[in-house]
Amino acid sequence: MDKAFAQHRRRDLLVAAALIIVAALLPLFVKDVYVQNIMVLTLMYAALSQSWNILSGYCGQISLGHALYFGLGAYTTALLFTKFGVLPWFGMIAGGLISAVIAMALGYPCFRLRGHYFVIATIVIAETALLLFQNWTWAGAALGIDIPVHRDSWLTFQFTRSKLPYFYFALVLAAIAWFVTWWLEDSKWGYWWRAVKDNPDAAESLGVVVFNSKMGAAAVSAFLVAVGGSFYAQFVSYIDPDSVMGFQFSLLMALPAVLGGIGTLWGPMLGAVILIPLTELTRSFIGGSGRGVDLIVYGTLIVLISLARPQGLVGLFARRRKASPA
Amino acid sequence: MTALLETRAVTQRFSGLVANSDVSISVGRGEIVGLIGPNGAGKSTLFNLIAGAFPPTQGSIWFDGEDVTRLPAAERCQRGVGRTFQVVKSFETMSVVDNVIVGALVRNTHMRGARRKAHEVLEFCGLDARAEVPASELVPSEKRRLEVARALATEPKLLLLDEVLTGLTPVEAQTGVELVRRVRERGITVLMVEHVMEIVMPLVDRAIVLDLGKVLVEGKPTEVVRDPKVITAYLGDRHAVSA
Repeated sequence: MDKAFAQHRRRDLLVAAALIIVAALLPLFVKDVYVQNIMVLTLMYAALSQSWNILSGYCGQISLGHALYFGLGAYTTALLFTKFGVLPWFGMIAGGLISAVIAMALGYPCFRLRGHYFVIATIVIAETALLLFQNWTWAGAALGIDIPVHRDSWLTFQFTRSKLPYFYFALVLAAIAWFVTWWLEDSKWGYWWRAVKDNPDAAESLGVVVFNSKMGAAAVSAFLVAVGGSFYAQFVSYIDPDSVMGFQFSLLMALPAVLGGIGTLWGPMLGAVILIPLTELTRSFIGGSGRGVDLIVYGTLIVLISLARPQGLVGLFARRRKASPA
Repeated sequence: MTALLETRAVTQRFSGLVANSDVSISVGRGEIVGLIGPNGAGKSTLFNLIAGAFPPTQGSIWFDGEDVTRLPAAERCQRGVGRTFQVVKSFETMSVVDNVIVGALVRNTHMRGARRKAHEVLEFCGLDARAEVPASELVPSEKRRLEVARALATEPKLLLLDEVLTGLTPVEAQTGVELVRRVRERGITVLMVEHVMEIVMPLVDRAIVLDLGKVLVEGKPTEVVRDPKVITAYLGDRHAVSA
């Protein structure tokens, strides 16, 4: 049985490696910039959702305020770069660390809340942060920050002539988020998180310090999301509070995981690959006034999924696996 | 040698209701002790106090020579107190073996060791064939055994069993009784709450009877069941006369 388990883990790793190679070759065939843009966003949201899944999927602490960490990552990088000339690579790490610390500071009071009360707290805190940034003059207030464009360079992580560097970076980011999840899944923390999600009292009686487990999950999750935010700031090279800290980002991190399978290794990836292209396509085809149409599409998908397969699309694969002789 | 577990004058109030009042009990190393009493006697409260679910209003709890009164449940587990829950609390989305691994991680830093330990405990509890099944698919008697397996995986010195034998068929209960005996043979002290007297009495070395939050009687099971006070507590005054 140990062997079967090890085999299963190794197969996940091989599938991931194969997918990364396939994804890395895609730009050879896809030259259209618009499609490349969608590919970048899909990979970015896959990474974000995978990171969100660590706290909300594995540890069961549903956050609808992760836009806060996304925004903090974006702002830290942009502010450090425009005000102090610090390269985005350092900004990325700084943003991640700041977010992790803030996630733990917020977790300290919030992790005493259970269920819906926790969810509401995450929404309120992210909205409060949004208001603060809208009024913070030094950080550009509601006008935001325009990141000055230099020559294309990996040093400043700016590219105006091609999307491909962004694509490859987003791919690496998604791969890291996936790999971190894969690694944590079979670690002490992974087991603690799932135990905390399923039954905190029982977990506590088995020596799991529930509070610390939640703090750990929050820190890892916030760090990775902030790195995604830093990337986004470089990618769009202009940020304002609404475009990096708005509630829609919190939703866009949660939905792929929910669609694909919350608390699963592959769920967020699968969900993002379906959801993000769909969003971008409906948005551009319906255009202009159709700002809410993508949300209608989500809504419909979520309703269909919860009716047909509450455990997410990954459940489709799991069922087939069980049916075949082990 | 000191007792493994001692409660000293423990009192627990829940906003006016006194669930335990001045309860002092002790459990020696290697014993199987039954904690019995009619419904509402305060068994579960005392049990939760010992496991560290909440601290007592007054009094202190000593485990293995140390005052653990203020220690949270997780830390008591690390020191060697394992427990089961009366209403089973399996990790429903996890497989049976994964449930047990959570317990095994208390004493194993590496996953490999924890996994090995988990399989070993599952075999001991007769659940090995169900290792890869989701916990949600177990039948009630298997879930009870999973509770015991999970607690055993933490390698406790003291195992607290909360009504693990209640509500089982006679055959299942007998398997349970044998499991408890084998647990003791491994050198683990057992304190078990039960209210089904006929199952517990042949199993335990000593019985402590609680009634109305106080220790009513304690002693050898054969003596306890004949004690008029116990009969009164369980059945009322009328039956005490005939005893």
